[in-house]
Amino acid sequence: MRRLLLICAVWASLAASAAAQDTDQAGPIPVTGNAPTFCTVGGLQGTDNVFDLGILIDTTTGLLSQSLSAPPKTMAGAFCNAGSTISITATSIEAQTLTGAPPNGYSDEVDFTATASGWTTSPAVFATGSGANPQSSQTRGTPFSGNIIVSIDDFETAGGSALRMLADPVYRGSITLTLTTTN
Amino acid sequence: MRLTAIILGMAFTVLSSTAVAQTAVDGQADVTGSVANVCVLGAPSPSSINLGALSSTSGARAGKLDTIANQTVNLPNSYCNFGGTRISISSTALLAADASAPPAGFSRAVNFTSTVGTWGTPNAQVTTNAAANGSSATANGDSGVQADPREANLSLQLSAFTAPGDGFLVTGAYAGSVTITLGPE
Repeated sequence: MRRLLLICAVWASLAASAAAQDTDQAGPIPVTGNAPTFCTVGGLQGTDNVFDLGILIDTTTGLLSQSLSAPPKTMAGAFCNAGSTISITATSIEAQTLTGAPPNGYSDEVDFTATASGWTTSPAVFATGSGANPQSSQTRGTPFSGNIIVSIDDFETAGGSALRMLADPVYRGSITLTLTTTN
Repeated sequence: MRLTAIILGMAFTVLSSTAVAQTAVDGQADVTGSVANVCVLGAPSPSSINLGALSSTSGARAGKLDTIANQTVNLPNSYCNFGGTRISISSTALLAADASAPPAGFSRAVNFTSTVGTWGTPNAQVTTNAAANGSSATANGDSGVQADPREANLSLQLSAFTAPGDGFLVTGAYAGSVTITLGPE
């Protein structure tokens, strides 16, 4: 009977040895993080953010000059880390000092077209004299980084090209460019 | 008379019992056992690492990998009761959940270096080398051999976080992992 007990004890020891492991593992230890959805229009190249058109009229006729222009502006380093929509809006160039409605034959406002290109296949375009601007927002489905070129052209006298421009030391309009993620 | 008979009877019984016991003590019993090779890694603490926001949202590095502080995971009271062991690390870079190939200039991977010390010389260390599109995300590294049985408080350190090409990180959740193995060389 005692011998039987000893055999059982050895058997139990062997069974314990079989269950032991000579290798251990920790993990996988998860390492997680996130990249927030983010867009930036980048930085404006150049010395300022002003499209300076100079003198707006043809001084011999008093009508809007037909040679108005200003160099385009570059937004450098724009990017979105997801699909995005670029939108451009603008306000017409208006006399800042004058008040009230202009007299007959005159105008105190200049319409123009603002264009943002380089972000989407079709540029985003906004015309201040147009009631609807379906092309003012353009969407791309993938992340992107690059430069956005903003330009202005197609200047027209509000009310008609036959109107003369009222004198005012400051005419001002504005352009707003927006990048938003789509997902 | 009856009492005498009982006493004699008891004495006989004792003598008889003594005679039987002396007959049984004539052998030898061996007591044997064994100790198996055992390695144990302490439970990782913390059991996971959340790095939070990986990318900057302002400044010159907006959209790119932010500076990420080193991370430490402790594995206390780890041991092997035999010599000739080593630590092995299998590390997988953080990858964005969106498996789409990122556009040029973007990355969906964040690489990092995993180091476990100290067990053998040199320390176990490996740096993931995932590409911007997330391929080849897993890398392995071994420590030198620990010659003797040992118990130690081991620590895993994650450091040197980088994005392939220092690209912009595509948006979304990122996940990677580190697996540590302690065992025979």
